[in-house]
Amino acid sequence: MSVAPHLDPVVVDLGREALLAMGDVSRSLVYASFLTDDGFEVVHVPDGKVDANRFASMASSIQALSEAVAREVRIGSSEYVIIASQKGHVIQLRVPGHPVVLGALFDDDETLGKALSVARRCAQQLAASLADRPAAQPDAPADQQAVPAY
Amino acid sequence: MAEHVILFGGPMGAGKTTAIETLSETEVVRTEAANTDRETADKDTTTVALDYGEITLGDTDKVRLYGIPGQQRFDFMWSILKERAKGMVLLVNNDAADPVGEMLAFLDEFRDLYDRGGVVVAATRSDVSATPTVADYSAALTERRPDLVVPVFTVDPREEDQMRTVLMTLVANIEMREMFLTSTASQPTSAAAR
Repeated sequence: MSVAPHLDPVVVDLGREALLAMGDVSRSLVYASFLTDDGFEVVHVPDGKVDANRFASMASSIQALSEAVAREVRIGSSEYVIIASQKGHVIQLRVPGHPVVLGALFDDDETLGKALSVARRCAQQLAASLADRPAAQPDAPADQQAVPAY
Repeated sequence: MAEHVILFGGPMGAGKTTAIETLSETEVVRTEAANTDRETADKDTTTVALDYGEITLGDTDKVRLYGIPGQQRFDFMWSILKERAKGMVLLVNNDAADPVGEMLAFLDEFRDLYDRGGVVVAATRSDVSATPTVADYSAALTERRPDLVVPVFTVDPREEDQMRTVLMTLVANIEMREMFLTSTASQPTSAAAR
């Protein structure tokens, strides 16, 4: 039985680490979350700014819609979703190689380019951290294996 | 040409995406993601935004088919999609723990669609679980919602003939109601007063 990312404490911890690191290098970051493809929140920072579950659900829908549009008009796979508004922007992108999406809300203190850059780095950091996890022990019971098979 | 926007609603795993794929004459737009909630429904993927397909009924009726996500956490999509809809095919999985309760819950949630056009209930997987029967669904509807007239079918969402029957029943209901409302509105005030 595989472990879903939002139920895996190691993924949650590594995700929090990556989000906090993004906050350290971006003063315009208001809120950020990792979420599963199907809309479950894995982890978010900081607390209290946004309805975390609702943000995760909406981000999941938006991600799927953006990918459907990219498929429909045959422009390859969707890399970023950007929602640009008067007082800030939301950026979404996939964590490479994992069924996890980063959604990040920035205010307008910094440029969109800077926000894109730090968001991309954050997603890559989580992907790298997950890749560095110790390999599963072949003889261990499924629920004790270190690497979930999602 | 008349146009109808019809939602396909119901809980996760009821067969909404399959029903739209069966009916649609165009390639279905799907927004599926890997399903991590295997306890609710043991299937690989789940719809997280919408499904979209189209079908023409007869020579004149174009029907836009929208599948909604089954999970409550996507209820913002329900609100968005039901704004333009005239009716709903409410699919319920007959081998779920409480299909009648789920039907009633969705009916409550989408009550305004009933008021605006109509709702048809389609129970799937009745080959796996013979109960509840159509009579059970109807009895529950009559008890909880005696004011509503909601046809109930058992269907296999993979079967085009069955799904067309369900859809045409709904469209016929919607069009009859529109005709009734139009004729009622055109009655002279004095006649209405009598």
